[in-house]
Amino acid sequence: MTMDIRKIKKLIELIQESDVAEIEIHEGEESVRISRYSSASPPAAAGAAPSALVGISQAVEFKSETPEEAEVLSGHIVRSPMVGTFYRSPSPGSKPFVEIGQHVNVGDTLCIIEAMKILNQIEADKAGNITKILVENAQPVEYNQPLFVLD
Amino acid sequence: MDGRCHAHGDLAERVGVSPASVGQLLSELEQMGLEIQAIAGESYRLRRPLEWLDKKRIDAALAEPARRLIAHLEIHDELDSTNTYLAKAAGENAPSGSVCLAESQRAGKGRSGRTWLSPFGSNVYLSILWHFDHHEAIAGLSLAAGVAAVKATRNVGIAGCTLKWPNDILWHGRKLGGILIEVSGAAGGRFAAIIGVGLNTYIPASLGHRIDQDWVDTERILGGRQASRNRLAAALLNELLPLLEQYQTTGLTPYLAEWRRFHDLEGRSVTLQLADRKIEGKIAGLTDQGWLILQDEDGRRQCFTAGEVSVRVEAVEKRQ
Repeated sequence: MTMDIRKIKKLIELIQESDVAEIEIHEGEESVRISRYSSASPPAAAGAAPSALVGISQAVEFKSETPEEAEVLSGHIVRSPMVGTFYRSPSPGSKPFVEIGQHVNVGDTLCIIEAMKILNQIEADKAGNITKILVENAQPVEYNQPLFVLD
Repeated sequence: MDGRCHAHGDLAERVGVSPASVGQLLSELEQMGLEIQAIAGESYRLRRPLEWLDKKRIDAALAEPARRLIAHLEIHDELDSTNTYLAKAAGENAPSGSVCLAESQRAGKGRSGRTWLSPFGSNVYLSILWHFDHHEAIAGLSLAAGVAAVKATRNVGIAGCTLKWPNDILWHGRKLGGILIEVSGAAGGRFAAIIGVGLNTYIPASLGHRIDQDWVDTERILGGRQASRNRLAAALLNELLPLLEQYQTTGLTPYLAEWRRFHDLEGRSVTLQLADRKIEGKIAGLTDQGWLILQDEDGRRQCFTAGEVSVRVEAVEKRQ
């Protein structure tokens, strides 16, 4: 086997030190995927779920977001602490919690992430102005996915 | 409030209002969801006697683990919502095991910001506060709580309840109750989870049309016999509190087999409404995280963490 355990350990260390959420490496016929998701909310649910599971919508949509993140996200990034569905307002049709340009204080609610009817209020962990909102309302989000940028 | 007949003048005297304002008072009570029957002449009675929520009666029906885990138990006549009340209490450092019940809610919370019909003096509106060390520890709690609620109904003699993903409590396909969990991050990095349960014991016929789906209540299930709300509240606490105490250690895993056994819609053709998107497919079980798996016509499977499941009527017709 070309990819031995030491090499994989090294990769795990690298990914832990970096900001990368997930990495997939192919060497010949071997491939390995390492992700930082905790065991409680892995996107690699395919392993645990029925094997015929071909696409997890969350994972697919997350990948399309990644290049954007790589571009420029300067400032303070608020990330999703879980896999779920992102809501910008407390109920459909009501005013969003925050808009771009708005000043927020520590503890202000920025959005709700729903996972199976558990509504998680995501609060600002730093005061500042919202410069970017990176996810559309009612879209799936991954663990650690950037949601907001504060200056 | 006793189901007996009272004459107009007698009521005025007992309540301490002028006879002229009795009519006004009764119409206010009706708006709160009480059914008042006018009987020949000027006598009134409640269509069905009320059982008030009562701390002593709840306590009498508690098992030891649950009794030990209750920090405070409060009963209110009216609140905006029991969840909102405990969320505020959590912000003021209320401990795990704070429990709140209400006789009625002005703005009971359903899913997606919808209101939960909460008339006065009937049904159970119950919330529990529990703190967790991290977000991951709460994952899947809504499904485990659904399992606990089904067991609680069984323990008060209501057989045959099932679950609709993620945690609607059904009886013969009709909605008996629901659970909504709200989590906020607290200072110091702990998370306050508020587990709200609504269970129908009696929905006045005059209000039933406001529920946008097929519903049922325990009184209809039991053929007109009233289920004790105090016993039902205690049964919910008996199941939910030990679960909450253990959940940070156990997670969803020990509850999955039971959830799957109680699952009402396995294999059914459904529509999943996710904001303005509609996804159609056949329910193909749950992942071990509790996510719903839908299979489309080409056999492709996708899993979901949110959305409203409804059975596709046209699919049912086609099959018949």
